[in-house]
Amino acid sequence: MDSSMDGTRSLRRTKEEKKLLRRQIKASHTLLKHEGISTASHPTKHLVVSNGGLGNGVSRESLLEVLKEGGTVESLLTPPAKPYAFVTYSSTEAGQNAYTLLNGRALQCHDQSVTLYFSYVEKGVSLLEDFVSPEEELQLLQAVDWTPHTDDVTVQKALKHRRVKHYGYEFRYDNNNIDKDKLLPGGLPAECDALLQRCLADGHISVLPDQLTVNQYQSGQGIPPHVDTHSAFEDPILSLSLGAKTVMDFKHPDGRSVAVVLPERSLLVMKGESRYLWTHGITPRKFDVVPVSEVEGSGVMTSDLSNLTLSRRGTRTSLTFRKIRHIPCNCAYPSVCDSQLLSSPPTVPVAEGDACRLEEQYVHQVYEEISSHFSSTRHSPWPHVRDFLLSLPPGSILADIGCGNGKYLEINPEVISVGCDRSANLVQICVERGYEAFVSDALSVPLRSGSCDACISIAVIHHFSTQERRQAAVRELVRLLKVGGRALIYVWAMEQEYNNQKSKYLKEGTAGASVEMMSSDMKCTEEQNVTQPRIHIHTNRTAFLSQDLLVPWHLKCNADKNKGAGSGSTNGPLENMSQGPVFHRYYHVFQQGELEEMCCCGGVTGVKVLRSYHDQGNWCVELEKTHGNSS
Amino acid sequence: MKLLTHNMLTSHVKGVTKGYPLIIKATEVKVNELEFNAQFVSRMIPKLEWNALIQAAEWLGRSQDLPSTLIPNYENDEEFLHKVHRILLEVEVIEGCLQCPESGREFPISKGVPNMLLIEDE
Repeated sequence: MDSSMDGTRSLRRTKEEKKLLRRQIKASHTLLKHEGISTASHPTKHLVVSNGGLGNGVSRESLLEVLKEGGTVESLLTPPAKPYAFVTYSSTEAGQNAYTLLNGRALQCHDQSVTLYFSYVEKGVSLLEDFVSPEEELQLLQAVDWTPHTDDVTVQKALKHRRVKHYGYEFRYDNNNIDKDKLLPGGLPAECDALLQRCLADGHISVLPDQLTVNQYQSGQGIPPHVDTHSAFEDPILSLSLGAKTVMDFKHPDGRSVAVVLPERSLLVMKGESRYLWTHGITPRKFDVVPVSEVEGSGVMTSDLSNLTLSRRGTRTSLTFRKIRHIPCNCAYPSVCDSQLLSSPPTVPVAEGDACRLEEQYVHQVYEEISSHFSSTRHSPWPHVRDFLLSLPPGSILADIGCGNGKYLEINPEVISVGCDRSANLVQICVERGYEAFVSDALSVPLRSGSCDACISIAVIHHFSTQERRQAAVRELVRLLKVGGRALIYVWAMEQEYNNQKSKYLKEGTAGASVEMMSSDMKCTEEQNVTQPRIHIHTNRTAFLSQDLLVPWHLKCNADKNKGAGSGSTNGPLENMSQGPVFHRYYHVFQQGELEEMCCCGGVTGVKVLRSYHDQGNWCVELEKTHGNSS
Repeated sequence: MKLLTHNMLTSHVKGVTKGYPLIIKATEVKVNELEFNAQFVSRMIPKLEWNALIQAAEWLGRSQDLPSTLIPNYENDEEFLHKVHRILLEVEVIEGCLQCPESGREFPISKGVPNMLLIEDE
């Protein structure tokens, strides 16, 4: 079945062979699409090699050997456990040559033979090694003046970890944006000119950057995963590593993550998806696990355990060069784009697509970014939930849909507990704690119908932005239950005060609602979609003024223990904002009777409501499944 | 991901009717030691899809003479319970993927976490 073994013969394939090759390439495109990799129709110097991955049992060495036949290989990325690899050649011509020569090539690896299929892709991340000489490195390190100015002191305090200095424009950490009116005198240090000219000449950038952020990381310091604000900077973003190497983690919103070693004196170029969509961060650690082989140099972390070693972190200084953006961002990733989303403040969605996008920006991404801080504030189980769990017969199967950091998964050790959450970071925390959990959406849980004796959904459904989606979430819980099984649902109540008892959430804040937040509920715009109410930003620890809100979360990097039951780290509306970035989470808070009505009338069938109550600022419902599934 | 979880997971790709069990393709497997609780294990057994467990064990190359059908009176067979305990709770897939047997769709397992998210049009 396989095509030819050498270059000349590959140009004289039979009609059947060509047809087969076309079909196989199409199949590989479908698989790649499932992985979120879109192939380009025009030749580029970047190619994805299907079947050439560590997940296929193909080693980096044997793949590299074949790839070199196509031309000079600039970089090779071999993501762990994936059935593909990414290769970047030195030029588009080399890429084209490799494509023509190597597409359909059979590769012998150990005892098996795999067929490699090549497709062009747009570029993501490029890593250019030895971009500066050791002499230049020293010059650049000496050029940074760390003498603190008064402004810097507050920033330093806020960041608590790495040292930071800006050139060109000031970066503000309270809103993660650039103050475009605050031009810093002096511009970029002259010592950077040479390397920037090289970037220009090599075609990595088409305009010179006008903003530089220098970060100095001591061993044990890092930076949380983030995407550089779309509206602040153009594309690409360059990052030069000096003084020591480190490992940078890239994460895709769908949960995929890739670890890349950044050697000393290397230049990282983040373009397209890797600049706009993937988050990047450095875990605060003193040691990294890196590949042994110097020949391999940098590249993606492989799961080949025999080839890894511990590398102690040194002090690394990174120079991140960026071009300030002066017109709103119009990238292809609107769900994560602050220009495209905040230019029109969010309104309560109607269409499914709008609802998904809203939840992506104001729920999923937020939890990914705040996960460790969030987890540290979620340590005490709600007593009634605890009682429910302890009431389950031993050997019951329990599913916690939206399990967060997993705190309910160990309450009843006699019960078989499994959790799932939309946030990959939170699920990671669960697994690290020894709980069984997987990443999944609450609207489509990959468990068989009728397989659970009990389900819980604690503080989850209030994150869905339409009535249909909230109902669908309840229906999914019911689907999982066997007949006679029980579910417990907790959602945030609009009425924080009930029976004259203030909820803990209200008690811990200052009294009274902030009247300034009351801009008119119905904001009329010029557009058609006029009557959808705007989603207000809520003032923490005050009464809820409407049902659909954005609730702020003030991220604390040094994860202090916080008692707050609701929003976590808020110490009152007057707390100074320089602590760290603010995230907004979308909530639909429920009115009295709303949850109960949703569960028994119309939207959800086959259940009866066993109990319905108010608990510490939440509306709660316990359901029992009465009828079997239709499908 | 332990095999207990695998036993419960199914493919939820749209239109798929034969999505269980998911095929395990593991590239990294770990074995942890977990305290043995005979009662817990014997209560778990009736809740399992036994055939799926046997298949899962085979995919990991750890069939370890587990019987293809449940033996009667297994609650009192300590040796058997130990085998079940080991395969169900102590073996963990760290890296690899789960494949839908009908559609071929692969769900990655990374650092012990299966990612079962579907993209919008699936």
